[in-house]
Amino acid sequence: MVKRVFERPLSWIERIFFIDFIRGLSITIRHAFRRTITTHYPYEKLVPPKRFRGFFGHKVVDGKEPQPAFDEWVERFKIKVEVGKSRCVVCMLCKRACPVPQLFEIEGEKLPDGRRRVSVFNMNMMLCTFCGFCVDACPVDCLFQSDIHETASYTRRDAVLNLEILEKIGRDWQRRREEEPDRIWIDDKNRERLWYENSVKLPEVKR
Amino acid sequence: MEGFVAWLIITLIKILVILAVVLGVGAYLTLLERKVAAHIQRRPGPMVVGWHGLLQPLADGLKLLTKEDLFPRYGNKFLYNLALVMALVPATLVFAVIPFGPEFELFGIKIKPMLTDVNIGILLVFALGSMAVFSIALAGWASNSKYALIGSMRKAGIIVSYEVVITFAVMGPIILAGTLSTYDIVQKQIDQKLWYIWLQPIAFVVYMFAMLAETGRVPFDVQEAEAELVTGFTVEYGGMKFGLFPLVEWYIEVLSLSAIAVVLFLGGWSPINIPFLGFLDPLFFLGPLSPFVWFILKVSLLFLFVLWLHWTLPRYRIDQIAETAWKVMLPLTFVNLVFTAIIAPLIWR
Amino acid sequence: MPWAKGEEFLDLKERFKGLEIEEKATITILRIDKSQLIDLLKALKEEKGFKLFIDHSVVDFPDKKPRFEAFYILYKVDEKKRIVVKTWTDGELPSIEKLWFAGKWAERECYDMFGIRYEGHENLVRAFMWETYQHYPLRKDFPLEGYATEYLPSLNEVLWGDNLQGLMNYDRMHTYVPTLEDLEITEKKRLKKKAQIVLNWGPLHPGTHGTMWFLFDLEGERVYQCDVILGQLHRGVEKLAENEMYNQFLVYTDRMDYLSALCSNQAWVVAVERLLGIEDLVPEKAKYIRTMMSELQRINSHLLWLGTYALDLGALTIFLYTFKEREKLMDIIEGITGARLTISYTRIGGVRMDLPEGALEVIRAFIKRFPKELEEWERILSRNRIWLRRNIGVGVISKEDVYFYGLTGPVARGSGVPYDLRKFEPYDAYGWVEFDIPVGENGDVYDRYLVRLEEMRQSLRIIEQCLNALEKMKKAPFFAESPDPKKLKLSLDGIGLKVPEGEIYSSGENPRGELGFYIYSKGGIKPYRVKIRPGSMYNLCIYPKLMKDRVIADAVTVLASLDPVVGEIDR
Repeated sequence: MVKRVFERPLSWIERIFFIDFIRGLSITIRHAFRRTITTHYPYEKLVPPKRFRGFFGHKVVDGKEPQPAFDEWVERFKIKVEVGKSRCVVCMLCKRACPVPQLFEIEGEKLPDGRRRVSVFNMNMMLCTFCGFCVDACPVDCLFQSDIHETASYTRRDAVLNLEILEKIGRDWQRRREEEPDRIWIDDKNRERLWYENSVKLPEVKR
Repeated sequence: MEGFVAWLIITLIKILVILAVVLGVGAYLTLLERKVAAHIQRRPGPMVVGWHGLLQPLADGLKLLTKEDLFPRYGNKFLYNLALVMALVPATLVFAVIPFGPEFELFGIKIKPMLTDVNIGILLVFALGSMAVFSIALAGWASNSKYALIGSMRKAGIIVSYEVVITFAVMGPIILAGTLSTYDIVQKQIDQKLWYIWLQPIAFVVYMFAMLAETGRVPFDVQEAEAELVTGFTVEYGGMKFGLFPLVEWYIEVLSLSAIAVVLFLGGWSPINIPFLGFLDPLFFLGPLSPFVWFILKVSLLFLFVLWLHWTLPRYRIDQIAETAWKVMLPLTFVNLVFTAIIAPLIWR
Repeated sequence: MPWAKGEEFLDLKERFKGLEIEEKATITILRIDKSQLIDLLKALKEEKGFKLFIDHSVVDFPDKKPRFEAFYILYKVDEKKRIVVKTWTDGELPSIEKLWFAGKWAERECYDMFGIRYEGHENLVRAFMWETYQHYPLRKDFPLEGYATEYLPSLNEVLWGDNLQGLMNYDRMHTYVPTLEDLEITEKKRLKKKAQIVLNWGPLHPGTHGTMWFLFDLEGERVYQCDVILGQLHRGVEKLAENEMYNQFLVYTDRMDYLSALCSNQAWVVAVERLLGIEDLVPEKAKYIRTMMSELQRINSHLLWLGTYALDLGALTIFLYTFKEREKLMDIIEGITGARLTISYTRIGGVRMDLPEGALEVIRAFIKRFPKELEEWERILSRNRIWLRRNIGVGVISKEDVYFYGLTGPVARGSGVPYDLRKFEPYDAYGWVEFDIPVGENGDVYDRYLVRLEEMRQSLRIIEQCLNALEKMKKAPFFAESPDPKKLKLSLDGIGLKVPEGEIYSSGENPRGELGFYIYSKGGIKPYRVKIRPGSMYNLCIYPKLMKDRVIADAVTVLASLDPVVGEIDR
């Protein structure tokens, strides 16, 4: 239950022959001849895991929407569904779930045929905490967080994601990583470099 | 007259060679240190500028030279700049008395590969070494910063303590050799077929510690102590002025003191020694170049050892350093000195 | 149960007229008049054994008279009991500085945030805000929108004449910013200067591990007196908590103790679950996941401590070695939760997502290798003569000091007080796993070092047990499902999370001490008042005492051994 820790004083032999130094030195020299473990950023980059919470994106309509939730919400808000366009149903749940709601600017517009569609969807990344509450709140699996993490920009204006960018990120994501299994990370050479000592074996990818 | 001109030309060439080599090597030792440190820490180190970062020192120098020259308000500009000169000049001057190899003949002229063979060489080395304390004290004072002041006081305290220790430590080999000339000390070791480290292990260990302390290497880098004093007495320096202090302290001084250690304890340019029997030279195929290679090899090994220590050990506290110097090392060297003084005549004369 | 029973205090009722005892499931309260407060606290400390000071603060009720309700939380380590003492005041309270030094800092904070004056306080200065700041931020009448007459210094965009509209409109920020004069006044207001040289150590200094401002009165290298000025990272987290929903506040717990975000997440979530009374509804798997993740985070945090600690003492290489292992942990945490630093993984009622494929294998591979690395570092450091000389006998904290200064976490354990909430008030799966509490003997820096190293080993044990348990329940649910969905809607986003009226003090064992949340709920989706008990802050309050008559070189040693995180101190 309670474990006592205590110091052990140095013996005279250790003192005179510098055994304590030699021990430490032997370890550092051994490390010096082992492989390096760093990733040479920006020349080499790790692939973030699928769950990575980076910049946001809007998944576009491609026939893989979560059913029946998607159809229900579309009917409820009378949303015009266009293939290749954002799945957003303008429900504002993301804004409600957000700890900093003022970072969202969402508007829907009414089309001549009476149905609605999202017209403005701005997110100010300067205010975002990347907590992912909005992603959890999204009922139609539209808003998501991609693996984009190099997000520096020169002006504050550039930090605002608008609908166009969001859709672009979404399309890119659906093309690249949508199909990936929910794994802790995908094996790549750079990550292997750090982990080689642990000789970790991830289960085979089931395709 | 002709002899004088030849002497002058040879001396000037020597000065140029030594200065160029020392400063150039000093600059490249930064790269070496970074690489060694990096590999000990499982990093590759500088890799971008040149092949495996070979041009990194040049890039660093360029960067430092093009930086804005800052000067602290209410500082003393004269002393501030004087400190730099006082740091650089004595440290380079030490190389005047370091023998890099045996005497050789070129175009019929006998040349000693050292700038000047004064008969009080060792004394000169430590006299110049003590000069370092001025530069540090001045740098700390002229910067008008509390951090710099504390750092310089720490360093001054260490140098004062360890000057005493190091002087007593080298007394042993000097007694054994019976001369103060660096060239003759090496020659004596070769004649007696004995490196003095075999008779003076304690003095050697003490010398190594004192060397680390004088040059501000771990475990004695209290004057830098980046966690406490940021960088100690150099904190108000910028650009190349900032770059010079570590260059002098960490590289040129370590180099010169390693060379002195090689001269005093490791037989200078002589090959591997088997005590009292002779020398074993695995590098015989290099012919007349072999002694120079040996000297450089020994100095670099010592330097690498210093780096190895630097990147392994934690650092002492200032009072503990002074305590070790006065309470442990000084008595040890005293005992060693008395012992040597009694034994030496019995063996050699 | 962690709360003391009401009947224990019946004998006090005769001595203290007007003592009311209130016992609830989530809290036990002693109510007393302000005039008798000090006597009661003294009696509790000296007679009843409630020696450890936990927290003190105030709740503001603008409509009531008297306006402020002050509470003091105390702990009895021998019998693992907690008690809250409450009193009403209209702006004045007696100071408990003589009883608990930690109270001094808590009072300073109350003075800063609520404008409460304390009689008998040695040096009542503001804790976080600067001296010339006129307002009391945590009072309920503090205008959230700011002061219309004040403007933030302009952004570059404003200077360039950019048309800032919509989301980019920063004009509406009206807030005060301290000027250099303000800071100078703040500095002058501290304790009386006692020596010739005053060294400003911080706020931006590599040795302070954050933005703390220390003032050392130096005589040579010896520190005669040390004073701390906090608040460089004050972000008003407690005020934010009052204006966010329970689940949204989770995000801010990440940003308090940013090195152990998962542990803070867990402490907050457990506190809310206890207040809701749904602690038992949370599925076993979620509890195991949370426990495992927060132990990983504990190792992560201790690794950063070890690395920077060694760095402070000049052993530069250890820093990179620990970061190598820390990077692996970061990889694991990133793969499971999606973020490396501000994690927000736990949710009220469970966790955000199930463990991904391969997580268990990776963690197993990590904990298999880790003890070897730990041993290597120990071989470099633990018996090194320099390390021993720098650490042994420095910054000695006695057992009495632990109680007097309200120390918790590894700092308390290093002094031989086995105060570990994971054992004392088991939350989540800590009751189901086996582990030891490492305690030191002398209470010096070296003991704290050993305690933290041993803690990492114990964390590995916990993780291994959690792994074994988790492997058996791959398909189990990871989120609480309420039996009656209309009564208590626990959705993923937490919208409509209705919390009943009541109050609770609940705490978790963070890597750097007890992180407690005192939540006062008036019902609804937002808390009325949240007082955060920051472990680092109370651990830091012993620092001036430890630094007395020591040299500057010890400043880093002692500070690093207390291991404060400024985000948590300043909040």
